[in-house]
Amino acid sequence: MATDNIYLPVKTKIEDVQELARDVKLFSIVLPGGFAYQAGQFVMVSVLGAGEVPISITSTPGVSKCLELCVRAVGHVSSAINRLKAGDDILVRGPYGRPFPINGCRDTLFITGGIGIVPLRPLIHQVVNARERSPKKGTVAVVHGSRNPSEVLFMEEVSAWMDKGVNVVLTVDACDIESWKGCTGLVTEHFGKAGVDFKDCTAYLCGPHVMIQAAMRDLSLMGVPDDRIITTLEAHMKCGVGKCGHCYCGGKLICEEGPVFSLEEIKKYNIKPGVDSLAYD
Amino acid sequence: MAEQYILNKNHLSFWLRKLKSSRELIAPMRDVSGDIVLSELSRMHETALDGPALMPSPKEYMLPQMEQLFCWSEEGLEEAIRNKPRVLFGIRPCDISALSILDVFYLGKNKDAYYEARRKNTVTISIACNRPDPTCFCLGLGTGPFLKTGFDLQLTDLGDRFLVETGSETGAALVQEVPHIFTVPKPADSEDLYETRLGAQSSFEKRVNLEQVRKRILSGAVKDSLWEWVADRCFECGGCVYNCPVCTCFNVLDRPHAPDSGKRMRIWDTCMFKGFTRMAGGAVPAKDKMLRTKRWFHHKLIHWPDQFGAFGCVGCGRCAISCPGKIDMATVALKIKGTDQGEEK
Amino acid sequence: MEKISTTCPYCGCGCGLYLHVENNLITGVSPNRMHPVNHGTLCVKGWNCHEFVQHPERLQYPLLRDGSAFRRVSWDEALGVTAAKLTEIKNKYGPDAIGILGSAKCTNEENFVLMKFARAAIGTNNVDHCARLCHSSTVGGLAAAFGSGAMTNSIDEIKDARALFVIGSNTTEQHPMIGMHMLEAKDRGATLIVADPRRTQIAKFSHLHLRQKSGTDVALLNAMMQVIITEGLVDVSFIRQRTENFDAFQQRVLAYTPEVAEKITSVPAGDIRKAARLYASEKRSMLFYSMGITQHITGVDNVRSCANLVMLTAHIGQPMTGLNPLRGQNNVQGACDVGALPDVYSGYQKVADPAARRKFELAWSRPMPDNPGLTLTELIDGAHTGKIRALYIMGENPVISDPDSTHVREALSKLEFLAVQDIFPSDTAEYANVILPAASFAEKDGTYTNTERRVQKIRKAVLPPGEAKPDYEIIAGLAKLMGYPMDYRAAHEIMEEIAILTPSYGGVLHHRLDAGFGLQWPCPDMDHPGTPYLHRKKFTRGMGAFIPVEFIPPAEPTDSEYPFILTTGRSYFHYHTGTMCRRTVTLEREEPECLVEINPADARRLELRSGEPVRISSRRGSIEVKANITAVVPEGIVFLPFHFREAAANLLTVNAVDPNAKIPEFKVCAVAIEPVKRKPGTRQTPGITYKEGMKIGLDLYIPPEEM
Repeated sequence: MATDNIYLPVKTKIEDVQELARDVKLFSIVLPGGFAYQAGQFVMVSVLGAGEVPISITSTPGVSKCLELCVRAVGHVSSAINRLKAGDDILVRGPYGRPFPINGCRDTLFITGGIGIVPLRPLIHQVVNARERSPKKGTVAVVHGSRNPSEVLFMEEVSAWMDKGVNVVLTVDACDIESWKGCTGLVTEHFGKAGVDFKDCTAYLCGPHVMIQAAMRDLSLMGVPDDRIITTLEAHMKCGVGKCGHCYCGGKLICEEGPVFSLEEIKKYNIKPGVDSLAYD
Repeated sequence: MAEQYILNKNHLSFWLRKLKSSRELIAPMRDVSGDIVLSELSRMHETALDGPALMPSPKEYMLPQMEQLFCWSEEGLEEAIRNKPRVLFGIRPCDISALSILDVFYLGKNKDAYYEARRKNTVTISIACNRPDPTCFCLGLGTGPFLKTGFDLQLTDLGDRFLVETGSETGAALVQEVPHIFTVPKPADSEDLYETRLGAQSSFEKRVNLEQVRKRILSGAVKDSLWEWVADRCFECGGCVYNCPVCTCFNVLDRPHAPDSGKRMRIWDTCMFKGFTRMAGGAVPAKDKMLRTKRWFHHKLIHWPDQFGAFGCVGCGRCAISCPGKIDMATVALKIKGTDQGEEK
Repeated sequence: MEKISTTCPYCGCGCGLYLHVENNLITGVSPNRMHPVNHGTLCVKGWNCHEFVQHPERLQYPLLRDGSAFRRVSWDEALGVTAAKLTEIKNKYGPDAIGILGSAKCTNEENFVLMKFARAAIGTNNVDHCARLCHSSTVGGLAAAFGSGAMTNSIDEIKDARALFVIGSNTTEQHPMIGMHMLEAKDRGATLIVADPRRTQIAKFSHLHLRQKSGTDVALLNAMMQVIITEGLVDVSFIRQRTENFDAFQQRVLAYTPEVAEKITSVPAGDIRKAARLYASEKRSMLFYSMGITQHITGVDNVRSCANLVMLTAHIGQPMTGLNPLRGQNNVQGACDVGALPDVYSGYQKVADPAARRKFELAWSRPMPDNPGLTLTELIDGAHTGKIRALYIMGENPVISDPDSTHVREALSKLEFLAVQDIFPSDTAEYANVILPAASFAEKDGTYTNTERRVQKIRKAVLPPGEAKPDYEIIAGLAKLMGYPMDYRAAHEIMEEIAILTPSYGGVLHHRLDAGFGLQWPCPDMDHPGTPYLHRKKFTRGMGAFIPVEFIPPAEPTDSEYPFILTTGRSYFHYHTGTMCRRTVTLEREEPECLVEINPADARRLELRSGEPVRISSRRGSIEVKANITAVVPEGIVFLPFHFREAAANLLTVNAVDPNAKIPEFKVCAVAIEPVKRKPGTRQTPGITYKEGMKIGLDLYIPPEEM
């Protein structure tokens, strides 16, 4: 197979499928040969006949044996992916996009909303592991918002992070069960519980556009410098390699020059995370 | 060094037949209705080199409106790369300029194999514009009405003969295929060439300075009310993008013809549609028509120059012909200029 | 790559375009720059009209019902069964138990052959098509007033007009290239007046926008005429020389003062006066209308009022004037012209007229019935009551397009035999006994007649998929099996027959259409250049007839239970029942789902936000759609496009019809709207239980303190 064709996906196999929540599945995929990636990058996943979509990589580079992708069935193609089973063939190409930058701040704050934890998961693993090894123990905090307690993704790993000293704040939009010990309300209401030094921390965030916007504004107000507020943006993409033009925003192609952007860049290029009145689910 | 030759017009049909003998010959031809289309030439005398800008632009031969990327079956994927040699004859200098921009886009970082195959197998023979259309404004952009480079061969109509300039080794080799019909120009030919070019330059009806417009936009002098005006008149037909020789956006779609076989195609797409940015969940980031129209102009006037050092516009005027709302590049550019002057007074 | 010149298959504009063909595949579309309608432009549908042709869901083989499923059969078997069944029903119940539906999407030749099949091979006048649902009121109303029911003037004249009055037409979206000419006229200084309850794009362009209440057009038009008469803006000599019945008309119309009309229409009396003066005082004023006028129980009355208005001011019979109904489908004009109607043969020659009948009997060597047949809506009702036993439907989808879908579905399921001939499987085809695969516009030769009466060629660019055939071949094959051979070797032979039998198409032959851009009928002989505008020296019927019209309110007024007026129509990106456009990626992506337009004030009252689901109910059915909150619609009116089978607007619409034209009132019915509220933060059905979701790790979780 010719490899110089940027649009040609590579066939690989699904090793395992785990259902994490309603319509959300975690796929473990055999790593295609020569596939090297970094946290924050994405792949284009094809289901022939349905189409191709960008999916964030959620496995940790160098640690996970498989390529892990977490997919929520929202559209035509993601629903087709979610119907695949262990042992099925799957087509991928990539990895694409700019990975998360790591800088030398003492503290790290992760803010995630729902499935927004997926692209950040490898980075959290990396940061937590690095903290274990490092003598300087900066604060690592995860503020994770979900719709309701049944939809808290990666609960097992969240517990493991807590064991390793990560400050985890779980919050849900609504909850009517008594055993829930977490918070309720928006993630932005619980920044105070994170315990990080906002002046000396890097904040990584991902979630629904409304959440990203609110969280970026609040973090900025709390004194996190704009270049240390890092998010990853979602956009409609057809090629992933800067050709199709669908993710063009503010003069930047999100696939090539993103999907990871700092608030500083977002302001500079006037990249507007999607605002839409008809979107809801 | 570019070489110059003279080709007697009587020898054109002979040359075209020669070109066609080993390649697919695409040339402008007049159909029964009087319209001129760029299409495969079967009868040499049907070629029409005196018409207005061709619609859509010759881009359709490099990035077709609908193109197969690959097909799949039980055996796996099979690329559909087109390698057939082809001559694009009689296209305009602005089209050549557009191809040069597309080359940077498609053949730079992340090379597009489909475009590359078509481009490599295509010889371009352009004809300089002696009589620009009323919609043309390439002069101020340096993308026409005649060029120094970019083409394989460039013809200039000198009445009873063409002056032929070579722009590449491929072009020079084409001349060498039939050397006996190409003669060395005489001093009178050069004089005629000079006069013809002068005549062409002086016959532009529209003069648009996009650099000035770019500066006005960057200075913040262009208010959103202007883009509202543009958006109100937009019919959302996509014609400006489809016809634009520089626009590159495409959509990808799968066409299954059986449970385990089918093909993946790409088709032209346009950022003027709200569905262009529609995400799987139904969210549409660019829902406002004003944002979309503004984005198109900004992309061409601000971001292309930033990224590639050239405007995303070659002044071919096709958007003016294909726009039902008459909000084409030149009209909007002149409006931006006009409003600003109005404010200054 | 080859470029085949043809005509767009979408709306009635009839734009000229090229299909790009490579290896029997259509790879693209481009506009024709010289075409008098589109001048190098196309709308989004035109630019994408090639895509559905090669869609994998195209019908490729004849299908025969086998229990609840369909089985692929040979053409011989499919046509054999159809012929046998139709013959059996004809022998058992008589020919009038069979109904035939033609199609405004098929060519003139095909509709002509179909109408010949109905009248000569079967022997019934029960032939109609969906013009019944869009412009039957035009055909009837204008025939009475002028003698000819078509757009009087030409599209290319619009840009030179001085005043444009557009009533009940969303022109820039539904006839984009006519909208383009209107905008150009406005840019050249013409005054644009739009009367439409919705604030459409053309209304935004207008100098004066009258937002009459749906279904009150007669009152509005009468009041404008009252102003014109009382202010002396009438053309007295025109009325005296070229019209009749003015006095009787004048007496009735004078009662409609603008103040009276204001109460009915809620348009300010001042605006009515202004509109009347603007329209009447210009010499070159064109009047345009479309579905907003015709799709009412008073459809014919509305059309007559428009006709009265143009005659009053003598805005007819001249270039840049006239009364211009904008026909919705690519060939709805042609399908009417060639007689796919129950009461007329081609060229509107009446079946009740013995001379016309004798002419066709002589040509087709069969006796013809003299009673007009049943209309589309009556055929469906007939199927319901058992009067109609078999239907043969060519390229139509009444389940989605006709009012009161439930009623249509019941009617179709009661039929003994239903044959559907189409390019895609449709909702109607689900009820069929036989499905016959037809060729699309890109796979056959023929002609379409656009809204300005321009007969234009379509040309075969690629081969039909599988075993699909052009419609006329299918019908001719069927007729042969039923003992009435029709041997046409090509479409141009059918056109020859049309030309011989149809005075207005007398000079319309394929070889003449090949040079240039077709011919505008009437074109009576081979040397005639066609007619850009009608009624030049005299009306087709002789004298123009003023017909007094009184205001009648819509069939279903709103009440406390159903407080909103529902008006239905098309959206820009979609087209009719969506069989073509919803299989086109770019179009479907623009509007993947049905949205109901609701005014912000109404939305506030209903506590509704944009994008939230609402349930719309009428006395006939209910659907759930998402709300699009927009000031395009006025308070009290909601708008639904009817393209979406999953939210079929016609489950709600009323099947009350105009008594003359039998056109249903698609534009007004009473509905109730109720938001479908879902609890915030929850989904409709939980996938896994809370317990399952929390069993891991949650016990270990200790929330951090506020710091």
